Amino acid sequence: MDGKKFRDKVTGDSSTADSPADLDETSALDATLKRAMMLDVPELRMPELPEIETSKVVSLAERRRARAPVWLATAAAIMMAAVFGVYTYNASTSYDSLTDEIIAHMDHEPYALRVTDVPVNSARLERVVPASVANLSPKNGLITYAQSCEINGNTVPHLVVQGERGPVTIILLPDEKIDAATPFQGNNVNGVLIPVGDGSIAIIGEESAESMDRIRESFVDAASWRT
Amino acid sequence: MNTSSDQLARRQRFDRLVAVYYPDMYRYGAWLSRDRSIAEDVVQEALLRAWKSLDALRDDAAAKHWLLTIVRRENARYFERKRLDMVDVDDLSPAQEALIAETEDEQLNEVREAIYRLEDDYREPLVLQVLMGYSTTEIAELMGLKQGAVLTRLHRARHKLKEVVEDDAAVAAGK
Repeated sequence: MDGKKFRDKVTGDSSTADSPADLDETSALDATLKRAMMLDVPELRMPELPEIETSKVVSLAERRRARAPVWLATAAAIMMAAVFGVYTYNASTSYDSLTDEIIAHMDHEPYALRVTDVPVNSARLERVVPASVANLSPKNGLITYAQSCEINGNTVPHLVVQGERGPVTIILLPDEKIDAATPFQGNNVNGVLIPVGDGSIAIIGEESAESMDRIRESFVDAASWRT
Repeated sequence: MNTSSDQLARRQRFDRLVAVYYPDMYRYGAWLSRDRSIAEDVVQEALLRAWKSLDALRDDAAAKHWLLTIVRRENARYFERKRLDMVDVDDLSPAQEALIAETEDEQLNEVREAIYRLEDDYREPLVLQVLMGYSTTEIAELMGLKQGAVLTRLHRARHKLKEVVEDDAAVAAGK
């Protein structure tokens, strides 16, 4: 038995079965399996993609050419400089205020603000918003986006609720204590940062903050850290 | 080309690849993790990693293999991080149940459950071959196995599933 025949026997692969009957049988089996494996695919939710400085990108081929010891030392020096540069750049990315950072963050995730009636997966919602942060319920409305995001060095839930007049962004900030409600504005959005216990909640929508009262109340009620 | 247009071209290339291969990434992640919500997280992490290292992909013709390899690594990292145990099929979370019973076709759901019940070692090469169209050589390379081991696993996986499919066919014929 040659290699191919052995493969034919062992794999049951529809492309290598060794008789017409086997071929039909395995093709039918694979067709059924393939149909079962074709799960529905949810809409793509692109993560926040950081800016990549293309001028500093070193291609794989260039890296391979840099294998000679003399180049290795040079490459190592360049890499160290690049790492230091990136570190310095990140460290220097600061905002004047928490609300500025929230607006900048929203600009990085524009796809979150889509109008849809598809709720976010409940298991995902539970992971992004653990009970220690908030106890969400149907009162909070149709939540169509949930992502753990970094704001001011803390990983916090970033949610989008479908409001009566469009998507409304909610960012739960259990570690950001503020003294008073702070209205703020971004590109075509109005928001308000409201104090809740030792933390706060940011609510941002296209409409005026007044039109988001119901959503605001439901999330204040849900916040686990409010008392 | 200035930096700005470089970045735009880079983003367009990435979006193009993702548009083509996202369904494969998601389905592969879902069958690896056996959980739709974990698959979503794994794919998001994989997309982020792919974006950061896009320039390492020299040939877009190899993008599918490259992206699936990243999904595979991210899935392993996810389970390592969370230290999740393999689940018992009788004790499923809603997300896991959703994976195997999302259609109204009972027979299809039974086949899904049978695939779900397969050990990871059998399920993964089968998904790669049947769904992703991988050759046994490619599966061996991706999984770090010898081709003989892949062949054996594929044979055993099909053998296990064949009975379920045949039973379903017999029930359907009897109706």
